[in-house]
Amino acid sequence: MSTVDLLRAHAPSAPDALRERVLAARPTERVRVLRVRPVVVLAGAAALAIAAAFVHGFTTSAPAPVVVEKAPSVLRGAAATTTADSTAKLQTRVAAVPAQAAGRLQHTDASITVRVDDVGAMTNRATQIASSLGGYAQSVRYRSRGASYIELRIPAQHVKEALVRLAALGVLVSQQISIDDLTATLQRQSDQIAQLRRRIAALNAALRDTSLPESQRVLLQIKLAESKRALAQRVHGRKETIAAGQTARVSLVLTTRKQAAAVPHHRGRLDRMLHSALGFLAVEGMVVLFALIVISPFVLAGALVWWFRRRAVDRLLME
Amino acid sequence: MDVNAASSTVRLPRAGDRPSFDDVVAEQLDSVYRYLVYLTGDRAAAEDLAAETFEKAFRSWRRFDPRRAAPRTWLCSIARSVAVDWFRAETRRRRREETYARDVDTTAEFGDGLPGPLEAALRELAPAEREVIALRILLELDGPSAARVLGISHTACSTRLSRALKRLEEMTNDVDR
Repeated sequence: MSTVDLLRAHAPSAPDALRERVLAARPTERVRVLRVRPVVVLAGAAALAIAAAFVHGFTTSAPAPVVVEKAPSVLRGAAATTTADSTAKLQTRVAAVPAQAAGRLQHTDASITVRVDDVGAMTNRATQIASSLGGYAQSVRYRSRGASYIELRIPAQHVKEALVRLAALGVLVSQQISIDDLTATLQRQSDQIAQLRRRIAALNAALRDTSLPESQRVLLQIKLAESKRALAQRVHGRKETIAAGQTARVSLVLTTRKQAAAVPHHRGRLDRMLHSALGFLAVEGMVVLFALIVISPFVLAGALVWWFRRRAVDRLLME
Repeated sequence: MDVNAASSTVRLPRAGDRPSFDDVVAEQLDSVYRYLVYLTGDRAAAEDLAAETFEKAFRSWRRFDPRRAAPRTWLCSIARSVAVDWFRAETRRRRREETYARDVDTTAEFGDGLPGPLEAALRELAPAEREVIALRILLELDGPSAARVLGISHTACSTRLSRALKRLEEMTNDVDR
């Protein structure tokens, strides 16, 4: 009989007492367990992430609401951006720029983007338009890829005409117009100037009094000097306010057809949805990558602990 | 005899085929007990550890998945974990007692009526060697299952079994002479 057969033939059997002891702790009912495998969890998480990305893409790709320009007297930040196909509509809007209100001082600030074929020629044409209307080009900047940025100063009474003519240089892509009413500011500055003049007159009258003690005289002289300085500042400010009301600032951007075509609103709904979903997926990927980077040291430490414990068990059982 | 070719007699359940705990106890108690006797070399300790193993198994019975492992493999894994804790406690106890007194002579009895030379040879083997003999020969686990219980590769498991049997036979022959 071989060793293996002997070992099998004389294998020890569990005593009855042990069997009874173990059976005393048996369960009372059968258990049906649904075990969720990690791969199923991972697949579910991936499907959820993709679904979330597409839902995000779908909701964010809805057509952009049309911004309606607010009406007249104070237009602040009222903007309209649309596709090149609605040029006629924009031309109408440019034509609808409110005229200067009679008896009021207003500053107009406009920025328009026009798509042209020849940026250089149209830049010259824009400065000519400004000059012909009594204005000037404050700055002109060319960018390497067929775009130029022009800052124009146009007399307030001609700003409407200037915008119409500048828009006619090509296809109007976008416009933004804001009008600030400076009348109240001007009135306040005028009141302050009048008040300071009265004060200076009063101080001069007081200083003409020969019986005034020397200490009082010095004090009044100091106050007079301060009032004159304040008056000079107010007068300067009032001039600036008037100047701002008399000239409008027009920021003109001239771009080529290729650049204007890159405006994101030209994308279709499906394209925008896919683009947005991919962006969202990229963000999700970055979050997962960040989480992996954060937990990887702990995983490594855990693996080392597991390995050392296993080595210790091997040594223990080999003694 | 080609030990590696020995196939497990444990019936692998089909998906969703979950035995009752009573059946598992009835079928596997002897196997777990034998494994623990060989591993610890102490019958009294093996009884306690077997009881503890089934207690643990009962507590984690809900998590047992018959599609992933046979009940015998699963129980042996639990038994090994319980036995390792016992070995650690024993090592600490022996270290303490070595300071004050000589070690108590605990003569192990591995088999029921096993010939003396074979008993003596088994006693000389390391627990890890007896363990692999128990798993592969007494419990007749297949190579991958035994390797899984031991936490080593299939090749390492075969090598360990081969060396253990060789040593066992060498020692038995020495005693016989």
